[in-house]
Amino acid sequence: MSPAEKGGAGRAPRRWLAHRARGERRRLGLAVLAGLLAGIATLGQLALLAWAVSRLVVDRAPLAEAMPALAGMALLLVLRSLAQHAQETLGQAASLRIRRAVRGELLDHLARLGPVRLASRHSASLASQLVEQVEALDGYFARFRPQLLLSVLNPLAVLLLVLWLDWLAALFLLLAAPLIPLFMALVGMGAERLNRDQFAAVARLSGHFIDRVRGITTLQLFGRTAAATGEVHAAADDYRRRSMRTLRVAFLSSAVLEFFSAVAIAVVAIYVGFGLLGYITYGPSPELTLFSGLLVLLLAPEFFQPLRTLSQHYHDRAAALGATEGLLGLLEETPDPVRVEAAPAAAPGALVELEAACVSHPGRGRVLGPLSLRLVPGEVLVVTGPSGAGKSTLLQLLAGFAGPGEGERRVADGLTLAWMDQRPLLVQGTLADNLRLAAPEACPERMRRALLRAGLGELLLQLPDELETPLGERGVGLSGGQAQRLALARVFLSRAPLVLLDEPTASLDAESEARVVEALAELAREGRTLVIATHHPALMALATRHLALDAGQTGEGNDA
Amino acid sequence: MRDRHGSASLIGSLRPWLRLLDRRRGRLLAGAALLGLTLASAIGLLALSGWFITATGLTGLLLAAGVAASLDVYVPGGGIRFFAVSRTVSRYLERLYNHDTVLRLLADLRARLFGVLAELDGHALSRRRASDWLNRLTADIDTLDSLYLRLLAPAGVGLLAILALAGFLAIWAPTVGLVSGAWLLAGWCWLTLGQARLGMAASRRQVDDLEALRARLVEQLQGLAELEAYGSLAAHRRQLEEVEARLYRDQRRLGARVALGNALAALFVGLGALLALWLAAQAFGAGRLSGPLMVMMPLAMLAMSEALASLPAAFTWLGATRGAAERLNALEARARTPMAAEAPEAAPPSRQSTALSASLSSVSLRYPGALTPALAEVSFTLAPGERVALCGASGAGKSSVAALLLRQLVPEGGEVLLDGQPLAAWPEAALRERVAALTQRIDLFDDSLAANLRLAAPEADDEALWQALAWVELEAWAMSLPSGLATRVGEGGRRLSGGQARRLALARLWLRDPGLVLLDEPFAGLDAGTVSRLAPRLDAWLAGRSVIFLVHQLDGGPFDPPGVQRRLTLVEGRLERYTC
Repeated sequence: MSPAEKGGAGRAPRRWLAHRARGERRRLGLAVLAGLLAGIATLGQLALLAWAVSRLVVDRAPLAEAMPALAGMALLLVLRSLAQHAQETLGQAASLRIRRAVRGELLDHLARLGPVRLASRHSASLASQLVEQVEALDGYFARFRPQLLLSVLNPLAVLLLVLWLDWLAALFLLLAAPLIPLFMALVGMGAERLNRDQFAAVARLSGHFIDRVRGITTLQLFGRTAAATGEVHAAADDYRRRSMRTLRVAFLSSAVLEFFSAVAIAVVAIYVGFGLLGYITYGPSPELTLFSGLLVLLLAPEFFQPLRTLSQHYHDRAAALGATEGLLGLLEETPDPVRVEAAPAAAPGALVELEAACVSHPGRGRVLGPLSLRLVPGEVLVVTGPSGAGKSTLLQLLAGFAGPGEGERRVADGLTLAWMDQRPLLVQGTLADNLRLAAPEACPERMRRALLRAGLGELLLQLPDELETPLGERGVGLSGGQAQRLALARVFLSRAPLVLLDEPTASLDAESEARVVEALAELAREGRTLVIATHHPALMALATRHLALDAGQTGEGNDA
Repeated sequence: MRDRHGSASLIGSLRPWLRLLDRRRGRLLAGAALLGLTLASAIGLLALSGWFITATGLTGLLLAAGVAASLDVYVPGGGIRFFAVSRTVSRYLERLYNHDTVLRLLADLRARLFGVLAELDGHALSRRRASDWLNRLTADIDTLDSLYLRLLAPAGVGLLAILALAGFLAIWAPTVGLVSGAWLLAGWCWLTLGQARLGMAASRRQVDDLEALRARLVEQLQGLAELEAYGSLAAHRRQLEEVEARLYRDQRRLGARVALGNALAALFVGLGALLALWLAAQAFGAGRLSGPLMVMMPLAMLAMSEALASLPAAFTWLGATRGAAERLNALEARARTPMAAEAPEAAPPSRQSTALSASLSSVSLRYPGALTPALAEVSFTLAPGERVALCGASGAGKSSVAALLLRQLVPEGGEVLLDGQPLAAWPEAALRERVAALTQRIDLFDDSLAANLRLAAPEADDEALWQALAWVELEAWAMSLPSGLATRVGEGGRRLSGGQARRLALARLWLRDPGLVLLDEPFAGLDAGTVSRLAPRLDAWLAGRSVIFLVHQLDGGPFDPPGVQRRLTLVEGRLERYTC
């Protein structure tokens, strides 16, 4: 059980949500104001209704005399609707702005953490967090937060009006008033526990469903799909039976609220009725008129309505608290200090210099170094070593994705670099969009040449719309080798002097591999600086310098 | 209304799901009746209270004027108390009962969708393994689940309440009943149909836009290294923000429309009450209506806000439900295209435990969207009892050959024969019994060890399961577990090590008696010692069966497939003649 599951959500998420709301104080404040205005318009409208009825029934006034009151009611109705509309749209605007800002900040934070830190997380679930958990904040800011204040202010307005009309009736409502915070807590606890239990149970049930769907191929191969379908139904049904037990209790809290709202009307109606008949001679009762009596009756449900609305939005709060906890977990991770500060300048003539640089990963200790290295323009450095020796780490260090924990990394001023690893990025969009990642200004002619040099000339001919062919899920699918060569085309397209390549030929068949090796040789002839991590002999042959890493130590085999 | 999906009408998309709801008609009607009772109690409470106060007020005035007047206070007083209690009780029961119904519907929906997924072929499944797709699927199911409680029941009960109220008011004053009924009916139409139309396009797009945002986010997080290196992070971020802006533009639009609907709902009810008051006052003035009844009418109308308040938000978002229904319908349509011809088999395939022959003749296969075929003109024959190694780099087509032999995919061209019969003619049960595969990915389910083993042999007793575990040297480990065979393995077998999972999969294989076995790296992830002990056992178990080993070309691994008579090599979907 996480701490949040034990004693309600921790304080940090609440503080963070409140802090966020403060940033949109103006809009949320206006939303409350609009809600208050709507509440007051309602009171005015009900007062006019009671007045008109009393004129018509008691004073036997002709309908024409009540017309101004009816017109006033219509006006107040329109006013109330406008105010209600304003409350909703203002709340929503605040929520949209907060969500956009939060997502932006999270993306900034993740970019600061850098590719190395993100590698330990599953990017699909991280993306889900950035979509779902940020969206889960919506109801809290748009609805719950303004309503929280309104659930105090509007009943107060009702109470004041009733107090002026008949203090004994106000006393009935007032008796319920101290109970309101109690009920809010009750409703809150009920809703929160309901939400928590429900959330956990739904997650378990979804887990069961997803578990079976994920393995559906296996179920097909064993010919067990019919049995599994029965199991899915049984699990969902079992979940129903168990969750009904908690619901029975959880719904009681809203039933209590419902009960008070109904009983308030009944008590007020009977009190007013007996008062009007003259059966009650105590206190203000003899002064009751049809106007005041009817108005008190109409106001009684309005006293409880804001609270009922709040209880409907309570699950928004629980959802936001749950989401916040997840988001705070992300924001808590502090980025590598080197990722935030600019690297010192390298000596003239060097692209990158490492001096006694070490890289450590939390939990794994030192994974590289101490290592000193000076990269000069035009050289081809091949890095070899067994897996786990720190080849990739060295490339990440050179690129600035992970800083040296100890020692120093210096880079030439304004150095740009090209990067290629075993998982090339394919973005939704056309082939040209994918190439432009490396050179936004590149013309089609340059793109074609880059594709040709990366060995994708044949592919280009096959594509229906040439460079403008969409790739990816909704377009043409590329094989692993083709994607690898597309990343290589990006390297060609970029004019970066330093090219870092992490196992560029892994998972390629012999033919593609040969083409890639040839293309890299050409890059080297162009005078670019290449750093290649590999254990492939043909690539090693390109080296002007060779660095053999051994379990993070610098077994430097310099043979330049 | 923009209909970019160009697909079936709203009713057409929802029809299969409405039919599913119809199977629980009794419960749905009972739930709606409870909703109606709650509403009737709320209206009754306020209307009767208004009547009571006015009646007492008038009687009080007469008494004060010295006129002998009397009023029965006990019946209306009792009525008020009754409505107060019935409103609370029926609300509580309604919520409880309807949630039970919704959860029952959820179980129905899940089972139905699972049945659909089980019919999907390898093409569909391989593209749809991503976990975000699964999340979306479950989200779609949950969306459809709200069809009854959020949409159908409130709208239906609201409509009935309008008619009932109009009828009730018409008893006392026909004009009031007719006019205010017609007014509310118009309001109802706008709040349901009108709002649905207003929000349809934008709410239908929401899921797609959320998916687009998710896709861009995955790109940015996965490709952070390249984006940062090329300095194109900001440019990609702008694209992402464009998607977000589109999403939020729609949300703002939908929010504004929901707010409009809510404001209109309040206005409809308020003006309706005003209208009722005005008409009733006229009837009162003409002496056709008593004072208390006149007051009752606008109050009853005011209480109708309970019936209409929830409609705008639910119906403005109807497009989301429609979108979910459409996606699930598309999935069902896909599953309905039969994988295997259901032609009556020419001759019943042999069911004895003998080795099976298999052959592929100029088989070709292409994945949707791929430029190059996955397999091109592949032909080979496997004699009964023969052992063949199929080699190739990843993506060369080995798994495609396996999927064809397992009938998870149907070839585009060429023919696959098993035991001399076209594969398509094999009955499903016989095929699954006679052909077994050990795939690279091991699927273990969040269930007990025993249940995971019994997938392979549902009838096996504990004795057989222990033997299977002994065969893969997991017996001692399983005995050491406090719950033994009942130990749960966790989601996807997470509580087991990779090696244990692999050995469990081997044990599953051993529990069966197939005539053709496909083995993809059977000992991957096992240490050399274990491999050297298990390999001879596997070799012995494979005797008398036909075997295809799938071998990755680049890393041979510690395991050399025993008794291989022939090696075939696949390069980019074609069979090469030389061996690897």
